Amino acid sequence: MKPLRIIFALIAFSITTTAAAFAAAELLETGSSLVYPLMNLWVPVYTKEHSDVKITTQSTGSGTGISQAVAGVAQIGASDAYMSDAQLGTTHMLNIPLAISAQQINYNVPGLNDVHLNLSGPVLAGIYDGSIHFWDDAKIKDINKSVASKLPHEAIIPIHRADGSGDTFIFTQYLTFSTPSWKNGPAYGTTINWPAVPNAVGANGNPGMVQACQGAKYSIAYIGVSFLDQTNQAGLGYAALQNAAGKFVLPTESNILAAAAAKDKETPKDERISLIYGPGANSYPIINYEYAIVNPKQKDAATASEVKAFLTWTLTSGQNKSYLDKVHFIGLPASIVNLSKGQIAEIGS
Amino acid sequence: MAIVALSGASQRRSRVAPLDIVLRYGTTATAATTAAIVFLVAAFLVVYAYPALAFNGFGILTHLEWNLGNQYGTGVERHGGFSGAPGASFGAIVFIVGTVVSSAFAMAIATPLAILVAIAMHYQVPRRLKTPVNTLVELMAGVPSVVYGLWGIGVLVPWIANSLGPFFAAHVPMLSFIGSGAASGNGLLATAFILAVMIFPIMAATMRDVLSTFPKIVFEGAIGLGATPWQAVTTMVLPAIRTQMFAAAMLALGRAVGETMAVLMVCGSALNQLPQSVFAPINTIAAVIVSQLDSALTDPTGMAERSLAELALILFAITLSVNLIARLIMRGGDRVKRTV
Amino acid sequence: MNEVAMSGSPVQASATRSMTRGSVLVTVRRNIGWVVSAAALCSALAILLAIFWFVLARGLPALKPQLFTTVTSGIAGGLENAILGTLMLVIFAVALVALIGFGTGIWLSSYASPKPRAFVRLLTDVLAGVPSVVVGYFGYILLVKIAGWQFSLAGGGIALMIIMLPYVVRGTDLALEAVPRELREGGFALGATYTTVLMTVSWPYALPGIFTMLLLATGIALGETAPLIYTAGWSNYLPSLHLTHSPVPYLTYVIWTFISQPFAESHALAFAAAALLMMMIVVTNVFARSWLENMARKQRGER
Repeated sequence: MKPLRIIFALIAFSITTTAAAFAAAELLETGSSLVYPLMNLWVPVYTKEHSDVKITTQSTGSGTGISQAVAGVAQIGASDAYMSDAQLGTTHMLNIPLAISAQQINYNVPGLNDVHLNLSGPVLAGIYDGSIHFWDDAKIKDINKSVASKLPHEAIIPIHRADGSGDTFIFTQYLTFSTPSWKNGPAYGTTINWPAVPNAVGANGNPGMVQACQGAKYSIAYIGVSFLDQTNQAGLGYAALQNAAGKFVLPTESNILAAAAAKDKETPKDERISLIYGPGANSYPIINYEYAIVNPKQKDAATASEVKAFLTWTLTSGQNKSYLDKVHFIGLPASIVNLSKGQIAEIGS
Repeated sequence: MAIVALSGASQRRSRVAPLDIVLRYGTTATAATTAAIVFLVAAFLVVYAYPALAFNGFGILTHLEWNLGNQYGTGVERHGGFSGAPGASFGAIVFIVGTVVSSAFAMAIATPLAILVAIAMHYQVPRRLKTPVNTLVELMAGVPSVVYGLWGIGVLVPWIANSLGPFFAAHVPMLSFIGSGAASGNGLLATAFILAVMIFPIMAATMRDVLSTFPKIVFEGAIGLGATPWQAVTTMVLPAIRTQMFAAAMLALGRAVGETMAVLMVCGSALNQLPQSVFAPINTIAAVIVSQLDSALTDPTGMAERSLAELALILFAITLSVNLIARLIMRGGDRVKRTV
Repeated sequence: MNEVAMSGSPVQASATRSMTRGSVLVTVRRNIGWVVSAAALCSALAILLAIFWFVLARGLPALKPQLFTTVTSGIAGGLENAILGTLMLVIFAVALVALIGFGTGIWLSSYASPKPRAFVRLLTDVLAGVPSVVVGYFGYILLVKIAGWQFSLAGGGIALMIIMLPYVVRGTDLALEAVPRELREGGFALGATYTTVLMTVSWPYALPGIFTMLLLATGIALGETAPLIYTAGWSNYLPSLHLTHSPVPYLTYVIWTFISQPFAESHALAFAAAALLMMMIVVTNVFARSWLENMARKQRGER
């Protein structure tokens, strides 16, 4: 039968083309969907220069990335959150920052989408736990005196991530660090016990958040900075957030750099630290390290050296703005790069 | 039993070739494999969910909140001999209600539709168009569930939010009395509709197949007795193929409760609240397992992951009960066994 | 009734009756059912066409010959690896499910006594209700981790087989049960063995029904994502023929993952994969149907 013959031919072809590549080391990178676009920009360039290694990238989620890196199913687990003490437990895993990402708060308020509303942690906590119902609530008017009269008397629709997400992690950390009532309540995590607000919507993935925000008037959502272009295209507004110093700042590159620099000195050797709500007058409060979770004990020497080579490349050539700008990430400060390289040196077999 | 009598008699007259023995035991082996697979899945769920069963107790069926606890906190919470993250409390009501209601709605929409379409496909479509039309309907089952989800997000949900919701709010206020009605379009209605579209081809294709192998003599006999063609179909043919329709409906129901991706994209992923109207966001067991699995993997105690397995076990139990109840209703299901 | 006997054809009689009564209502009542069923069919086809249009409008522009010769890499690339992987997974799964599913269906309709039969039927119906993600996770724990297969063709194939099994079993069961007793008894009366009767009488008669369900199941399997993410993994490279320890790429992964990327090229690739997948399903269906027609025609020719 003709179709069968074609299929067999295809399979035979695939055998011959893959036979030669069998000598290569194969790496699997899996995990965070925030880092995935950046990995996809890095890997093709790297594998073109180093044809003896095959790297597959996968977007499965930070939790899966950590779990598969621990299990040895993946060599590099990508995560937006560092591993907690409890997660590390008795296993020694390396949390290696590769880049810095940020998050913006988007909203869809007809008439105000081209204005940058001021929002603070306590106000956002109030919106997401239901204590602030309407856009013209006194607390919102208080911090937006210039546009207070334009705020409509409409119910706010808070949109959160329904799937486990690093975006939820860093957003809820911002709420936790800035608002004591939220800290004692839902606290933070890749998924939390969202308070039951009547109109709250759960969306899947950052594109889902963009779509939900765009489709529902008077809604508010937290979206990763790599989707800033999409949200601008969708006509959504984004907020200026109040930082620990009390100022309202926009997610511009300089503000993000300022926040990163402020936490620079405090970063410990194992690099597990939150960059949220950091000090500094111009610091944007929601930024985070994007981590590669790696087991220092790889299955063999060849794999270990390939992992080290790739990670080192991402910390040097990979920090080039041509890659980072496409996803609106920023590069690591030099001292952090050194700390990361120090951790990479621990990888062996 | 007729078969025994027949085989006894035929064994004297016809040969029982060695191939027959191979066939008999081979097929028994494959049937045993099928049963073993189902048991293996069930056993896996029970074993994997056991810590969660002990930890959650019956609370999982009565609590509204699905709380993984503070995974970055210190200490653990202990119940029933197992520990979870501090503050962890798993309640599945939202998902159970969502699954049951969305599947019920979907079946209510899809079953009559499938019967009507099967009748149309067999009796009304001209002979030359039969194969293309059959192929088209079967194609609906082959559309990937992510594509249904994408179409749902891109076309169905905006339509519900912008056209259907306001229409209902204006003319049938009781269905959308909560808040802004169809705020985002993601919800029970979208889920039920997408599920109906996905399960309908299973029933329609099977029923059309059954209709095409059904002896024409029954239909013609009814006409001969004075029935209109429609009456002949509804009073004579359909009741005779009741059991096959039931079988198809059970498979379709299975797909509806187990559908993951498409539901995930349009259901609105409600957590900690029950739906108040057809436009309200819901969540189903299958969808919540996918969306929560990644977070559950960050729980160092592992209790979240086990609780998701417990959810799957609950779904297993629901499917089993529905199947048993439906069978009881159908009664006279299995007829006399046939030989080869 | 006397009227019917005396005036000959009942159709003529009732027609005459309705015409002489001049009741529009009667005509409507006769035909409303058919109108509704025709409308149902048309709306179903309309929805199908709407979905096809939705995918093809976005996917066809992105379909280029290079898609078939380059692998998925970076934010876009091609689909060669995914196409090959999908074909391999489905062929593996169909082979496995044909063996187990047909066998079980034959056993159910021919050899089983009532209680085991009802039990196994119940089991397969319950299996149909297991979410695809649960099947995938079951495969992950059992095959990827415990058995140590890592991401593999065998794992993905087995996961797909479990998903397809209920449909194939029930389809075979129903189709074989529908074979008229007279045909089979005729075979026995001629002195044929069980196997001969099955292969030459029952099976050909039941084949269209069995095929419908097999095609349905294959369509469902082709469109699954969740079970494969946990068992076959994903690979940016052409799949090898190794049954284990080698991840397999597949088209649904591209759809599910690339649609969530912030790049337009990724979206285009996702829709191209969706369009390709749907065309594969169309082609499979059409080929299978025409092959079936061919077989049927040959049989009729012999008879």
